[in-house]
Amino acid sequence: MTLTNNNESKWDVQLRKGTLELVILASLKGRKLYGLELLNLLKSFETTILTEGTLYPLLDRLKRDGLICAEWVQEGDARPRKYFSLTSNGDEKLTIVSKRWRQSVEDISYLLTHPGPEPLNR
Amino acid sequence: MNNRDAVHQYLSKLGTYLARLNEAEVNEVLREIESHIYDSIELAEHNSDPINITDILAGFGSPRELAQQYVEHILEGTPPPKGFSAIQKVKQTATVGLYWTTAIFGYFFGSLIIVSSAFKLAVPDLFGVWSAAGGNSIVVGLVEENQQVGEEIVGFWFIPIALILGALLIKLTHSILRVLKRSEEMSRPSI
Repeated sequence: MTLTNNNESKWDVQLRKGTLELVILASLKGRKLYGLELLNLLKSFETTILTEGTLYPLLDRLKRDGLICAEWVQEGDARPRKYFSLTSNGDEKLTIVSKRWRQSVEDISYLLTHPGPEPLNR
Repeated sequence: MNNRDAVHQYLSKLGTYLARLNEAEVNEVLREIESHIYDSIELAEHNSDPINITDILAGFGSPRELAQQYVEHILEGTPPPKGFSAIQKVKQTATVGLYWTTAIFGYFFGSLIIVSSAFKLAVPDLFGVWSAAGGNSIVVGLVEENQQVGEEIVGFWFIPIALILGALLIKLTHSILRVLKRSEEMSRPSI
């Protein structure tokens, strides 16, 4: 059983690596979030859990790439918080990447639902 | 150590490792991380959960690892082709060589100067700095008894001067080594 769990988690890590950027962009679509909010949002899903140490450098990179922007907002007496949101470039990128993602899911699903021995006719 | 101290210590270490970024960028990173930590503490307080600062900081990884991810784009820009890792290796070896050469020379001469002040204290007549060859040259060191070298220049002032010079040299060596060590650590490729 341990072996299965182990493999599952390795798979999760690999998958997360590839999809992290999409996950962040998708989380910020149409909303502004501050770091802890974003982190807790991602922690609420089974396959998108990540650590602070991964999230912040990634946000920094996305910001440098012009895909997201950040601003410090102070509400009332509370400490100011840094809110992240998509730029128009980020929005565009999200549209492109999510299209590819859906295509990829569709392709893999097709393969999964059409096992052998029948030949795969497309 | 209380929470505030732990946070402060973490951030100041992180700041040191971020030295490659410009000051405004470093401050922005530190402010952002600090804000997140206090958000986490407040959230725990709000939910009446126990606050474990070590756990919160652990989420960020060690200051060095975290900093490495922030400065990666500066250090690597475009990642070099695979075979080029050999150059990295040579650069690292060179830094290590420089490190130890500086360490040995700096500490050795620093200590030597300090030890020489002890000689002056122990055998004041035989050790010192003299003017020789009619003022055209100076002699520093231990002389044999009854040997007239010339006019002694600094006399007992030699002791404080030697102590200060020696200490300065050791301190300078120490500072240089710290810089070398940091650049060596930062250029180490992350695995």
